[in-house]
Amino acid sequence: MRISDLIARLLTERRGLVWAAVIALIAACLTILITRLALDSDIINMLPGKFSSVEGLKIYNRDFEQTRELTFALLCQPQDADKLEEFAPAFAEILHQQPWCERVLSGSPMETPEGVQDLQSMALPLLLNLDPPTFTRTLEVLQPEKMRERLHRLHEQIEAGSPRPQFELEFDPLGLIAPAMKPFAEGNAIQEDQPLTSPDRTMRVFLVVTNQRSPSAFDSQRLMREVNQFRVQPLSGWDGGPLQLLVTGRSAYVSDISLSMREDIKWTLLGSLVLVGIIFFVGFQRWLPLLGMGFALLLSCLVGLAVGLLVFHRLNMATIGFSAILVGLGVDFAILIFGRYQQARGDGESHREAIATAVSKLGRAVFFGALTTAVGFLALVLSGSLGFTELGVLIAIGILFAGLFMCTVLFLFVRERQTVLRHDWLFGLVKKYVCWSVQRPKPVLLVSTLLLVSLSVIGFSPLLAVPFDASARSLEPKNSQASEALAAIMHKMPTRWEPVLAIVRARDPQELHDQWRKIADHWTELQRAGKIKGFSTPTALALSPRTMQTNHAQLASLDFDLVRTTLDQALEAEGFSRDSFASAFALLADLKRVKDAAVPMPHWRDRLPKASSWWFLIDRYFARDPLLTTGFVTSNAPILGHAAYERLSQDLPVAGVPIIFSGWSYSLANLLPWSQRQLILISALMAIFDAVLLAVLYRDWRLWVIQEITLVFAVGAMLASMKLLHIPLNLLNVLSFRLVLAIGVDYGIYIILIWQKAKDLEHDVAGVVKPVLLAGLTAVSGFGSLGLARNPSLSGLGIACAIGIFWSLAATIFFTLPAAALTEPKVWRKE
Amino acid sequence: MHMTDPSFPAGKAAGSLWGGNTVSHRRGQLWLRTCSIATLLCVFLGATLQAEQLSAPDMKALLARIREKRNAAPHVQADFHEEKVIRLMNKPISSSGKVWFQAPNKFRREVKGNAPSIMISDGQQLWIYYPNFKSAEHYSLGKHSPLDAAMAAINTALNLENVESTFHITGAKAATGYDLELLPRGPSMKRLFQNFHLRINDELLAERTEMLQPNGDRIVTTYSSQTRAPIPSSTFEFTPPAGTDVATPLGK
Repeated sequence: MRISDLIARLLTERRGLVWAAVIALIAACLTILITRLALDSDIINMLPGKFSSVEGLKIYNRDFEQTRELTFALLCQPQDADKLEEFAPAFAEILHQQPWCERVLSGSPMETPEGVQDLQSMALPLLLNLDPPTFTRTLEVLQPEKMRERLHRLHEQIEAGSPRPQFELEFDPLGLIAPAMKPFAEGNAIQEDQPLTSPDRTMRVFLVVTNQRSPSAFDSQRLMREVNQFRVQPLSGWDGGPLQLLVTGRSAYVSDISLSMREDIKWTLLGSLVLVGIIFFVGFQRWLPLLGMGFALLLSCLVGLAVGLLVFHRLNMATIGFSAILVGLGVDFAILIFGRYQQARGDGESHREAIATAVSKLGRAVFFGALTTAVGFLALVLSGSLGFTELGVLIAIGILFAGLFMCTVLFLFVRERQTVLRHDWLFGLVKKYVCWSVQRPKPVLLVSTLLLVSLSVIGFSPLLAVPFDASARSLEPKNSQASEALAAIMHKMPTRWEPVLAIVRARDPQELHDQWRKIADHWTELQRAGKIKGFSTPTALALSPRTMQTNHAQLASLDFDLVRTTLDQALEAEGFSRDSFASAFALLADLKRVKDAAVPMPHWRDRLPKASSWWFLIDRYFARDPLLTTGFVTSNAPILGHAAYERLSQDLPVAGVPIIFSGWSYSLANLLPWSQRQLILISALMAIFDAVLLAVLYRDWRLWVIQEITLVFAVGAMLASMKLLHIPLNLLNVLSFRLVLAIGVDYGIYIILIWQKAKDLEHDVAGVVKPVLLAGLTAVSGFGSLGLARNPSLSGLGIACAIGIFWSLAATIFFTLPAAALTEPKVWRKE
Repeated sequence: MHMTDPSFPAGKAAGSLWGGNTVSHRRGQLWLRTCSIATLLCVFLGATLQAEQLSAPDMKALLARIREKRNAAPHVQADFHEEKVIRLMNKPISSSGKVWFQAPNKFRREVKGNAPSIMISDGQQLWIYYPNFKSAEHYSLGKHSPLDAAMAAINTALNLENVESTFHITGAKAATGYDLELLPRGPSMKRLFQNFHLRINDELLAERTEMLQPNGDRIVTTYSSQTRAPIPSSTFEFTPPAGTDVATPLGK
């Protein structure tokens, strides 16, 4: 018994058994989904992991504190600037009282006495960390003569009215703290001129470290729900005009992206189902098979997800969103199979015979169509991106199952008794076109060839490039509150462009210190040479046990009792208030204690209070593992292209120091060639596979050439349309090319295979062209509806695919068919 | 996306931690603001204020008359004696010297005695020169620093345009003149002063000023020999003598 007959028999005589199998399959898939569902919301995982810059982004997002940080901004009217300044501390306190808030930074720590004291508390370890010659010079201020001379000079300067001695003595009464802090301050030079208040004083920024449990999408959404509830409450204490409260940060973005993705999936899926439904109904005037088609599509998505989870254990949310592509692809099979079934019923065949006919006539085409598409998407495994790999495998699995379900499950929704279509106007139109184009193919071929060649010339012309949007913004959802808040802050606040991150992981503190020392020296040279604008590093905070030990030995030669007595006497002699020098005496006592070898070396980490605002700065440099650190380099101009990336990647590395360079701009610039290679190389590989497959399938070089030319025309016209309509490619919608190739091959297979075997042109060919037309229109409208998505990558993909499929469909109907008729007139003659 | 945010606010945030400056930088700005404001307020307001009963309408009328006088005679000079009580020192620090002022924003202040100094501003630059140390400090104005905000606020006060928006001004008639109290309105001004007292005589000339700073420091200045005689423009120009060690505490 033929497979088609077996399927027909099972679907008509063993419906209960088939339903039971379907229910068992659904139950198994749901069990897998419920027990194993784990979603990865990180868009970084859509980027190829083999790039160290991408790996750097992942490390920075995973291991550094900034993943839990939110930025709040208050924006008032110009006339309320003073009120805003006055309200800022109160708002900081309000933030601090929120259950999700751990720490707040509302201004420079240097403006608060606590901030200055915290800095002073870090001075001792940083002093001991000075390079030994500097340490020796610094300690000279403790010599009795030098101490007396310094205090006398400062006294005289105060008498003269100088402001400097006053603040110098308040911050650094002994003259040790400023030299100790100097490397720290110098290492953070890049961070200067970035106030938390806009120049017009209408915006104030507050940084908040939240207690978010994990960086996952669900925890981000949970946090942002609470934050948004807080946002809509009136701010107590504010008595000015309209006051905007803006929030941005990683959690805000993740929440926005994941929620928009969910909405996108919901509405675009609904939109495409409605459009597909309308077209299906117009074509076949049946509702139940439409339901069957939707059921089979959802089933194939379900199976794809379940198998994907078994394979990968965790799926990227974006991957699941893109799985909506399955709907667009699977619809084709349903329309073709059902179209052929309906035609068989129209020819007087029974329900069972018509199922068998549809499966036998088109099963092979559906199988090869599914296979080419599956292989095309499996090629994404070569991309090196976990997200794309997941996407490719999911679609490949899903499309194969979709092919299978359309040949089987779909017929569970087709009634045995159904009325024959009395007037199929669409089929009538298609039949007329087929007859005309087959009998007189030259005029159609001439017009279509002229048009498609012209578009292909434009499309493949190097003179006019397809716009390529490699900015991070191309990945952000439209109308994202986090994105708008960031834009508003960037607009108001003087800011630089994004720096390059340099991530360094060491095995021990000494190695960490040595590595950062080398890096700082090298970057200082680069800055002098004008190759970079600036940099900041944690060098000063990366303590060197070796240096501290050397400096510690020097302390032994100091008599701290004598120093203390000298200080006392000098203060008395100069008329200074002893109380104002309490911190000097405390520092001396500290130094004396450290001098005792039994006391462990001090570390700033143990001395800085947990609530100190300085942690906001320190957390930029140090991950939760203190041996994992990052520095920042500001380039001379924003990193917009691969050339800028290449320059930096040549200049910044330091021999012998393993550094991971990263940052969004840097990584995206790094990925540009990869993305373009994706477009060319993998698409080319897929095209070669398709070409070989088609050659085997057709066994007719002329038909094979026609099919290949059709594909070239489709891609060329698609490129031309994108150029002329200024639709940019981005890192994600380059996928559309392989999708268009896959679908274009499918359409070609349906037409040419039928053409080769057709005995009654009117009946056989027109009977396939109509479903192909309907399938094409549903795919165009299905993908076109993705254009409404808020996520630019999804909408970009949808638009690009809709354009490409439109040209594939047009080329198949207006070029492939008449070309085949012109090339293989034998079939016509046989008729 | 700004997601790493280094792209964002990340960097901004970190930057602000230093407050845009080093320790001395920030604290220097505060001191300088205080010092400049005190000088300017003392000199100009002291030289031109004249009032009767200082009810709100009277104060408004008085301010109008002050503006008139200032327009008629933009130059003022006087001798001064200053006593500073600062937390760092056990005893007050006394100094004396002479001040010159030209509306709207030029001034010179010379301290005589064992620890002399000269403070000069032409509206764009501010110099403080210490002859004993052969050193000078140079500050640039007009670079959107908090110092500029303070200077702008002071100039507003000196020009007496919208002075009420910057200060609460109250006053009372004294036996031989008036006691005025200026209380800053905005938070930035409040960081400089807690309050500012000014006594003027019946001739509209300053006799005594007293400024209390939030950190508890107090500066009391008395004036004598005030005159509105014209002042040569060279008085407000300064070039450091050869061999002077010039520092720029707030950067260039």
